[in-house]
Amino acid sequence: MSKTTVINTIKYLTGFYYLVLTLMGLGVCLAVALFFFVLQDLPQVPEPLSRIIETPATEIIAGSGERILVLGGKEFIPLDRVSPYFVRAVVATEDHRFWEHHGVDKLRTLKALWITLFEPGKIQGASTITQQLAKNLFFSFKRSYKRKFDELLVALQIESRYSKNDILQAYMNQIPFGVGAHGIENAAQTFFGKSASDLSLSEAALLAGLPKSPTHYNPYLHFERAKARQQIVLGRMVAVGAISRAEADAAYQSSLLFQPYSTGARTGSYFIDAVIQRLEETYGPEVVYHGGLKITTTLDPQMQRWAVDSVKDGMEALDNIMGLNNKGADGNGDGGERPQTALVAVETNTGAVKALIGGRNYAASEYNRAIKNHRLPGSGFKPFLYYTAFDKLNLHPASVFEDQPVQIAIPGAGDWQPQNFSMKFEGPMILKQAFIHSVNTVAAQLVELTGPEAVITSAKHFGITSPLEPVYSIALGTSAVSPLEMASSFATFATNGVRHKPFFISRVEDATGRILEEHIVRGERHLDPACVYQVVNMMQGVVDEGTARMVRQMGFTLTAAGKTGTTNQYKDAWFTGFTPTLSTSVWVGYDKERGLRDANRVGITGSRGATPIWVDFMMKAMAGEPSREFSKPPNIHIENVDATTGKKASYFTKMPVNVVLKDGQVLKKIWQ
Amino acid sequence: MHWTEPKNFSEWAQRFFSARTLVMSMLLLVLVISELRFDWMEQTLGSFLVSTNATRPESGAIWEIGKQTRTAHQAIEKIVTDRRTSYREAENATSFKQIAATIQPEEWLLVPPDLFRKLYLELPPEVAQEIISSFELLELINNRDWERTYFEKDGGGLNIYMLDKENRVLKRLPISPDLLYMMAYSDVAFGKKLEEFPIFEDRIYSADIFFHVLKGLTPEVRDGVIRRPEHLLRVPGNIVRVGISDETISGFIQIGFEIESGAQQMVIREQGHEWAVWRLHSLLESEK
Repeated sequence: MSKTTVINTIKYLTGFYYLVLTLMGLGVCLAVALFFFVLQDLPQVPEPLSRIIETPATEIIAGSGERILVLGGKEFIPLDRVSPYFVRAVVATEDHRFWEHHGVDKLRTLKALWITLFEPGKIQGASTITQQLAKNLFFSFKRSYKRKFDELLVALQIESRYSKNDILQAYMNQIPFGVGAHGIENAAQTFFGKSASDLSLSEAALLAGLPKSPTHYNPYLHFERAKARQQIVLGRMVAVGAISRAEADAAYQSSLLFQPYSTGARTGSYFIDAVIQRLEETYGPEVVYHGGLKITTTLDPQMQRWAVDSVKDGMEALDNIMGLNNKGADGNGDGGERPQTALVAVETNTGAVKALIGGRNYAASEYNRAIKNHRLPGSGFKPFLYYTAFDKLNLHPASVFEDQPVQIAIPGAGDWQPQNFSMKFEGPMILKQAFIHSVNTVAAQLVELTGPEAVITSAKHFGITSPLEPVYSIALGTSAVSPLEMASSFATFATNGVRHKPFFISRVEDATGRILEEHIVRGERHLDPACVYQVVNMMQGVVDEGTARMVRQMGFTLTAAGKTGTTNQYKDAWFTGFTPTLSTSVWVGYDKERGLRDANRVGITGSRGATPIWVDFMMKAMAGEPSREFSKPPNIHIENVDATTGKKASYFTKMPVNVVLKDGQVLKKIWQ
Repeated sequence: MHWTEPKNFSEWAQRFFSARTLVMSMLLLVLVISELRFDWMEQTLGSFLVSTNATRPESGAIWEIGKQTRTAHQAIEKIVTDRRTSYREAENATSFKQIAATIQPEEWLLVPPDLFRKLYLELPPEVAQEIISSFELLELINNRDWERTYFEKDGGGLNIYMLDKENRVLKRLPISPDLLYMMAYSDVAFGKKLEEFPIFEDRIYSADIFFHVLKGLTPEVRDGVIRRPEHLLRVPGNIVRVGISDETISGFIQIGFEIESGAQQMVIREQGHEWAVWRLHSLLESEK
């Protein structure tokens, strides 16, 4: 090598040396300038750091006093009440040099910077636990270099002001784990039903893996992913010497006992959604989520659990009937693939909603079909029609009508020619028989006499709140209603016409117990009790011997009344029934325009699709209840009549039918 | 100082290993190593930031939550304060009309049964009977289920619910705006006729004649006879007869208006100026 070459090399090296020095100097100047630039916008750090949990929790409580959900607030626990396994797992996974650095892990940051700059497509994170805490407390999740710089500065301040234990404690009390769980105590209770101090290595490792992406690793929905993440956490713990390989293997192999998702973590979630929606409308979201309210609801948790079980079992049975289990349809993911359902149970003499299911799987679809899904009720609407006919036309259950082809002229449209479900005509029959067997032609004759407007007025008095179209076909349930409306309006039958508006919230208090709201149980009477009782008696006939006789066949023996409903092409299957104390409506159908048909392509009616769920639920809900009769108004009497002539039954009448008559309503004598 | 490029290798070496360069490099190295070892830069920055903490803005997610919490508490405080104010005003109320005035639309008031009883007893018996019969009230008090009274505004009127301890309604008493108005107006006698007031004896005229004669008077006289026509306008039903008292008290004469409203009958007494009423009375007598 010549001397000139050496000199040139030295020259270049020296030049490079000074260049580096100059760049470093510029970098420092730039950093100082940037520091003072961002300083003015840098957020203030709260004192003390535990202020992060000062948001009071809004508690939602069941009618029984059981706490069913906590909104907003966080349960702060000191570090010594957290399982050491979890502490080690979090540190090993998120920031294994946590105890050594001063807010920034420089080596990790340089490595991450290198990867980000020189390995296209790869982004390496290097946030320490302190930086993550700073981010969670102050910054949005939008990625930007300025945000990262701000986050870094706040992390430095936190490290200078607080001890490592304080930082770790604050971090663990605010990290999100998914399914509404924030903070380790909340997460331990939600997922495993135990305190954070009692978490095993296996449980701690699973939970420590969730904050990276709570939705992606949600163990209720993606168990395999959560297990894979747990394995990574355990691997990290082994790598940093927190546990041995044998301990990690044992923890990975050990089984995890989760709290049930639907009944533990979010009991009655559709119900709670309805409660929260109503509260937000009244008080605004800020008061609901940050006001520390105590909300006493009408929910009966045991009844709700039974409703969940009944819906689950009933829908699985329906899947079998429909042959869906052999097709590998995903019942959880796509509501269009399998039929959906809704169930609402309302206390008849108050209107309190005791149980509510808005779909077959809340986790898969939060759409509340019990309240928001307005579907055609089919024959389930006929009780309102018959009431109207009794009230307005002084007809009674023994009035005789002819089951025959009917043609009603509709101005501006073609004639309406309703058909019976059986496609047959049975000739003369009393109204009770027509009702029990859901004869459409007789219903059409009645609505022609009463007019659709009168039926709408009655339906509204019973508790239907959806807009109803004043058309003749309303008699056959061609205006959509929700299961909540059906349960609530049928409850009005059980109380002899006293209507109680359905409600979910009994009382709202603030954090200090001051009452903000109380529900007043007030009934409104706009209906004639005698006419109501006449219809109730006919609805008992539906359960005892009519389209819903499955209720008795399945062994439900208490006094009950109800009405099935099935719509065109079997798109909706309903059964709404009630005892003197509880009214329950069950709807089954597809979210999409599609009929319910069994494996042999035979349509599924309300009796076959919805009634079994109703019976299963009511048998549990009413177990141990004494047998009660529907209360009779004073001005009525019961007679046995002939089913076709409506004449008073004699000794020789075959299968007489008992009917309720108002005082003054007389029957034809047998010889008339 | 002029910088010149070294001419040879030894000059380069001399400069490269000069004391100044070595000291600077050592200093730089010490700075870097000490930073890596002791994190002094982070600590210095952190301490500086701690010292400026109080001057920086309360911004960011945690402060937003704090603000929302404050807003929520303020909203709750307002609800509670409003309700307490209404409750205190209700406690001091002397009429149902005052109760109605204390309740904001969409609001309600829960008070002990005693307050209802107090206000009920303040009413003239005829008016009180219009709300609930004394016997029925006595029955409610005696069966001891009545725990609280719930007042709720209903348009211009008032709904009163007597509640048991489970908040079930034992009795609902609707008070129409007209009844509420008339409650405050003490000179209303429900279910009475003019003949039942001796002061109007022999001085009772049909409403048609009364208003026909009144129409013929000057506006000043008309205003002197019926000083507050809005009182009469608010009363439901029709005025069928009018009685004029023969007594003058402090320059005023009482005029009784017999009103029929459906099946209900009542007499409302107003005060007219003596000079105007005498003028009217003389004309009415001449019309007889």
